[in-house]
Amino acid sequence: MIRDSDDVIVKTLARLLMPFIVGFALYVLMHGHHSPGGGFQGGVILAAGFVLLCVSFGLQWTQRWMTRKTAELFSSIGVFIYGGIGVLCLILGGNYLDYGRLSRVLGVDVAEARSLGILGVEIGVALAVMAVMCTLFFMIFTAVDESGGQGGEQ
Amino acid sequence: MEVTLLLEATENAFRIIERAREHALGLLDTAVQFTAEETHYEDQKRVHALFAGAQRRKTRFQNMVGTTVIMFGFWLLLSGIFDAFHLTLGFLCSALVGVLFHDLLFSNVRVGDMRVVAGRFIAYIPWLIEQIVLANIHVASLVIRPRMPIDPKVITFKSKLETDVSFVTLANSITLTPGTITMDIKDGVYYVHALSKKVADDLNTGEMEDRVAHIFMEADHLYVQDVLDAARLYQAMRI
Repeated sequence: MIRDSDDVIVKTLARLLMPFIVGFALYVLMHGHHSPGGGFQGGVILAAGFVLLCVSFGLQWTQRWMTRKTAELFSSIGVFIYGGIGVLCLILGGNYLDYGRLSRVLGVDVAEARSLGILGVEIGVALAVMAVMCTLFFMIFTAVDESGGQGGEQ
Repeated sequence: MEVTLLLEATENAFRIIERAREHALGLLDTAVQFTAEETHYEDQKRVHALFAGAQRRKTRFQNMVGTTVIMFGFWLLLSGIFDAFHLTLGFLCSALVGVLFHDLLFSNVRVGDMRVVAGRFIAYIPWLIEQIVLANIHVASLVIRPRMPIDPKVITFKSKLETDVSFVTLANSITLTPGTITMDIKDGVYYVHALSKKVADDLNTGEMEDRVAHIFMEADHLYVQDVLDAARLYQAMRI
């Protein structure tokens, strides 16, 4: 188990940077169809913010926002959003992830529907990536505790 | 004879009843007094809770709005696309960040003083840049001489600063200035590595510390806004 930092500089800067990291992650996510970035990158930046909180303030404090349960829930929700949009296109008579078919549901023209569909898929990807990254990091963070008695990955 | 006995008995009975009544009245008084005290105490507790709760809610709301506004400015700076769709997205995202992380940005800062702090901080930056340029020239002149007359040492000093934000501002200003590096802060004591006697002396005069204390209004500032807030709350409760 990694201990939380007792350095006032690290703690304060982590505290001040966290909202900006999350804001930047959301910007990268939402502008994925205009500029470099997208779901995966946004999700990784989000997860990096939580990792920063975890390293500087400790696991206990980070669990105000992100517990292991929430991370697992969000990873399933992300995959569900991605798959749900794909299957919705399938139901509406197109191919899997054929966003143009969403125009009838959303009430906009085909090009706009494609843009919105991609945005929805990106949000799903970002949620899943963020949650899986957080789960991985939490597992690494608490690994020594659990393997103290037994050892190994059981 | 019998009549007197009867009279005495009646008198005794009356006396006993009187005493019992007095006793009951006393008990009742005590009970009323206790209840009153209890109610008074409860009232006080309720008022205190109301005061603390209102203050906390107000601070929380201000923090949320402040974080949202700052995040929206950050978003506009990054985005560069100003159609309604992206602005709405930006507002939603900033509001999300504001609700989630409302207690991170302002956890040790008084919201009423934020504008003054921001203004003084911006005024501090040119002075810092000037110091950095001067120290740069000094360090370059040290390094460029063949004898290289450096005198590295660790200096420690106790700071008069109070909050963590001011600690970090001073520490990072010291690190940004060439020739000095903040190694650690432990309980308000700075451990700084200095390259030569001149930079160490510059640090020991404490001018940078005074300026940082001035930015964050520490050690010499009366928080007028707090007094005004408290007065308004008390007035609202008395009516």
